[in-house]
Amino acid sequence: MTAPSFTFYDRERALLAEGPELLARADPLEIKDYTIRLLDRFEKVVRENEDLTRHSDRQEQRLVKLNKNLKTQARDLEERQTKLESISKNLARYLPPQIHEALFSGQHETAVVTKRKKLTIFFSDIRGFTEIAENLQPEELTDTLNEYFSEMTEIALAHGATIDKYIGDAIMIFFGDPESKGVREDARACVTMALQMQNHMRSLRKRWQLRGFSHPFEIRIGINTGFCNVGNFGSEQRLSYTIIGGEVNLAQRIESIADPGGILISADTYAHVIDLVEGDERESVSLKGIDRKIKTYAISGRKQSRPQSFKISHPAGVSVDLDRDQLSEAERKNLADQLRSLADDLS
Amino acid sequence: MTSLNIQATDRTPEISIEGSPPRMRISGESFPEDVAAFYGPVVFAVESLVDSLTERLHVEINLAYVNSSSIKALYRIFEGISEIHSKNLLESITWFYPDDDDILQELGEDFKDRFPDLPFQIEITA
Repeated sequence: MTAPSFTFYDRERALLAEGPELLARADPLEIKDYTIRLLDRFEKVVRENEDLTRHSDRQEQRLVKLNKNLKTQARDLEERQTKLESISKNLARYLPPQIHEALFSGQHETAVVTKRKKLTIFFSDIRGFTEIAENLQPEELTDTLNEYFSEMTEIALAHGATIDKYIGDAIMIFFGDPESKGVREDARACVTMALQMQNHMRSLRKRWQLRGFSHPFEIRIGINTGFCNVGNFGSEQRLSYTIIGGEVNLAQRIESIADPGGILISADTYAHVIDLVEGDERESVSLKGIDRKIKTYAISGRKQSRPQSFKISHPAGVSVDLDRDQLSEAERKNLADQLRSLADDLS
Repeated sequence: MTSLNIQATDRTPEISIEGSPPRMRISGESFPEDVAAFYGPVVFAVESLVDSLTERLHVEINLAYVNSSSIKALYRIFEGISEIHSKNLLESITWFYPDDDDILQELGEDFKDRFPDLPFQIEITA
């Protein structure tokens, strides 16, 4: 059985439907009874309508109020957001960018937690900084030092380094955490960065000399690769994201014996960059606090890639087309001697 | 006795008529997509109670939001309850409203004014 249907104003419609027939019959008693029912229903409808209108107005007032509150809240939120962004921007200068990004995206753990990881550690300092500092006005020293730090930092960040800290005139950097491209690639990125830093130091020194700076900075760089503890050290109140371990100390010791303007790296780092850079093996040394002899390599620059094939074509009838890999060491030497002799005769 | 049990949805209230002594409860939010379709069975269930009740009815209405069309449906339900009251089969109507909701408090007062003969109480939701 279908449930009887309910529609709004069904009673009123039914009452109205009776009207035409009643009026046509024109029975005064029927009309009187109908009028009474009509008035009663009409009164109810008017009351309902009054209540509904009032209720609708109240709801509307609430909506207007909510809308105003929402707008105020949105404005407050926007102001807070701007303030937070400004704070975050300032805070970013005190933190390694990777950590700052990870922190603000909620991906960085802020508990006192560390892990053991193979990293490449970089140390640099300015040769004779104490003496330089004594001979410079504090303002000049500050400006030059900040210029130096800022340009080195730019290079470091471009290579994906994690800048651990500035310690006086020294810079401590590591590769391999929180982001890593693998131990080998991290070591290569570090050494490449060091080369670029020393190259850039030459430009900086010229700039400083032109400015009349009589003792332009010269830096030493030391690099080592090994297992360290990396993470948040400190307490629940104050944390420092850094690295510790014997390999960190070793990197610092290597830096202390590097030539001014030079880059000295450990054998562990060299193993990862042997095909990338020119390295001169140094005599193994004993370093303070390290209970073994340390083999180091002084890096002079990137390895020049030698051309594999040679082609010479001269109108005089000289034509050379050879593939270097097709010749043995002796054949190459013999050919080089002949060509050298020919060149001597021609000149 | 007519009984009814409609589960609540995010747009419609829970409505039940059951028990002994009989109790009718309406609770939740009311803004159905089709008010006539939703409240039709309730209106007719209340109207049929006039002939099926053997004990006095308790009514509890506890709504958190009511749209205008639902108010129109509630009028029809109150008309049915008035008829039950005229047969001396209504014990009480309690209209509950949330503590900080003056709109629902005033709506309860409007119903009380429109049906002055009913044993109508207005209380803050516990």
